[in-house]
Amino acid sequence: MLKLICSNLFQRPTRTGVSILAVSLGVVLVLVSVGLSYGQLTDNANRMRRIGGDFMFQPPNASFFFALNSGTLPIRFREVINKVEGVQEATPVLAKFIGDKFHLIYGIDKESFARVNETLRFVSGRHFEAPNEAIIDTNYARSRHLKVGDRLELLNHPFTVVGVYEEGTASRVMIPLATLQELNGTPDKVTTFFIRAKEKRALDTVYQRLKERFKDYTITRTADLQEIMTANTPVFKQFVAAVVFISVAISFLIILLAMYTTITERTREIGILKSLGASRSFIVQLILRESLLICGAGVVLGFVLAAIAIKLILTAFPSMPVNITASWRLFAAGMALFGGILGALYPALKAAHLDPVKALGYE
Amino acid sequence: MSKSKTVDIVQKKDPVVVEDIQMTYRVGKVDVRAVRGVSLTVKAGEFVAIMGPSGCGKSTLLHVIGGLLRPTSGRIFIDGVDIASISDAERTEIRRRKMGFVFQRFNLLPTLTALDNIELARQIQGNGHVRNHQTTEEILGLLGIADKMHHKPSELSGGEQQRVAIARSVVSRPAILLADEPTGNLDTDNSQMVLQMLQDLNVKYGQTIVMITHDPEAASTASRIIEMRDGRILNRVQNLFYAMEQKRV
Ligand SMILES: Nc1ncnc2c1ncn2[C@@H]1O[C@H](COP(=O)(O)OP(=O)(O)O)[C@@H](O)[C@H]1O
Ligand SMILES: [Mg+2]
Repeated sequence: MLKLICSNLFQRPTRTGVSILAVSLGVVLVLVSVGLSYGQLTDNANRMRRIGGDFMFQPPNASFFFALNSGTLPIRFREVINKVEGVQEATPVLAKFIGDKFHLIYGIDKESFARVNETLRFVSGRHFEAPNEAIIDTNYARSRHLKVGDRLELLNHPFTVVGVYEEGTASRVMIPLATLQELNGTPDKVTTFFIRAKEKRALDTVYQRLKERFKDYTITRTADLQEIMTANTPVFKQFVAAVVFISVAISFLIILLAMYTTITERTREIGILKSLGASRSFIVQLILRESLLICGAGVVLGFVLAAIAIKLILTAFPSMPVNITASWRLFAAGMALFGGILGALYPALKAAHLDPVKALGYE
Repeated sequence: MSKSKTVDIVQKKDPVVVEDIQMTYRVGKVDVRAVRGVSLTVKAGEFVAIMGPSGCGKSTLLHVIGGLLRPTSGRIFIDGVDIASISDAERTEIRRRKMGFVFQRFNLLPTLTALDNIELARQIQGNGHVRNHQTTEEILGLLGIADKMHHKPSELSGGEQQRVAIARSVVSRPAILLADEPTGNLDTDNSQMVLQMLQDLNVKYGQTIVMITHDPEAASTASRIIEMRDGRILNRVQNLFYAMEQKRV
C-alpha cells in the first residue's frame, strides 16, 4: 500500500509540495506565535519573580504587561507599604517599553532593590552610581555587542554601560529610577512595587494584611506570576485558541481540497482497487495514510521553517525571549495531523462508497 | 422436494450458478431492463464465452456474477454462496477471494510498475494461500514480459498491458476469471496472444473462465458459447441458427 501511496504523491509533485507547504505554514504559525508570546510570558514572569519580591503591588486593574501602564503609581505608597506588619522592604520599579528596540527598561532604586534582591550578579563592571549610567544583562550585552564603558542611547538620552549582570533577573537594561522618571515625564510615579516579606512562613498573613490595607489595588504573589500570566491571561488563551484554530483549518481545508481532487481524478483507480477486492476500509486507509504522509511531511517542514523564522526574528530582535516547549511542538504536530485526518475523512468515505462499476467507467 | 435437493447439490459443486437474474437500471424516470431473467451454470474448469450485440446486457451480467453489482432480483451462487443476498462487505470479500477481472481497457494502476500492480493485487488478496505458487516474477516470465516488469503501464503496449492484467487477475488463483472483451482494444496479433494465454490458463491450470466477446473468432477458443439478446440468453436452437448464420456470412 505504501508504494501506491508514494507513487500517487510523486505523480503530482506540485500539488503534494503545495499541500505540504500549506500544512507546514500552519505549524509555523502555531510554533512562532505561541513560542514568542509564551516565551515572553514565561520569561517575563521568571525574571520578575527573580527580582526577589514576594508580592507585586500595582494600581487597580493593572496589567502585568508593563508596556501598557507605565508610571501611574505614586512613589509615596512606599512608606505606607513598608509600615504594614511583616513587610521587610518595598522597592519601586518604573518600567518603560522602548518601542524602537522592542524591550523594557527598568528604573530602579539601587539601595532598596539590593535589599529585596539576592540574584543580581555582575559579570563585569559595577552598579550604576551616576544618573546617566546604565547596567545591562549578559543577553543584551551579547546580542548588541556591548561591554562596560560603551555608550548606549536610550529614549534619546546617552548612557554609559557601567556593569553587565547575569541574565535572568529583572529587565535586560536598568537605569536609575530618578533618571527614568524624568525621561518618562512622570516624576514621583512608578509602575509597581516589589515587596519582600520578613518571613517566608508568614506569606499568607502578610498577603491578607496587604489586601486589607489596599483594597482596590492589585496585589499578586510573584510565585503565581507565571501561572497567572499563561493560564489566566484571557488574551493569551484566546490568542492561542485562534492561532490553533487557523492552523487546524489550514490543514483541514488543504487536505480536503487535495484529497477531494485526488479521488475525483483517481475514480477509475479506486474502481480498479475495488474490482481487485479492496474493502472499504482499505480505501479509507489509503486516503487517510496519504494525507497523514502529507501532514507528517508538513509538520517536519514546519519545524524546520519555524526554527528558521525564530532565527530571523532573533537576528532582528536579539533580546526577544522565545519558548517553544516540547509539549507545544507535540501539540502543533498533533493539531496539524488532526486537521489533516479531519479533512481526509470526507474524501476517504466518498471514495470508499464509490460504485465500482461506475468508477471503472461503465455507464 | 427431491428436485430442489438435486439443485442444491449442483449449486455446491459448480463455481457459478445464476438463477433468473433481473437487472433494471433506473435512469431518471425510465427503467432500463438490462438483464431480463438469465439463468446459467458454469462448471469448474469451463471456459464460457458470452456473445451478443452491444447493449444486450453482457457486461451487466458479468458484473453481477463478479459481485460488482447487486441484481434487482434473482440469485447467484458462487461456490454455493448466494451473493445476491449478502452485504456489500461480504460481496467484496467474495470478490477478493474468488474473482479475477480482466477488462477491455486493461485497468492497470497507472502510477505503479507492472510488478507492483501484480504485487498490490497479491497484497489486497492476501498471499497466504499462494505462497507455494509461482512468484510474481515467474508469472511475468511465463507471460513473456519479465524484462518489462519495472515498466509503468504507459511504457507498455496494449498487448503487454493486457498480459500484465491477466497475470494480475490470476496471481491469487481465483476460482473464476471474468473477462470483459479482453481483446476489444487489441490488434489481431495481440488478440491472438491474449486468447492463447486464456486458453492455456484454462487447459493447463483448469482455470474457470467467463469471457465476453464480440468476436466469433475469440469465442471459438471457448469450450461453450452463450448468445445474448436484449437481456436474455438465446436457447440452443437459436444458438445453432446463429452459428449457421455466422458461417454463411
Ligand atoms: N449504470 C447504468 N445505468 C443505466 N443504464 C445502464 C448502466 N449500465 C448499462 N446500462 C444499460 O444497460 C444496457 C446493457 O448494458 P451492458 O450490460 O453494458 O451491455 P453490453 O455489455 O452487452 O454492451 C444498455 O442499454 C446500457 O445502456
Ligand atoms: Mg459491455
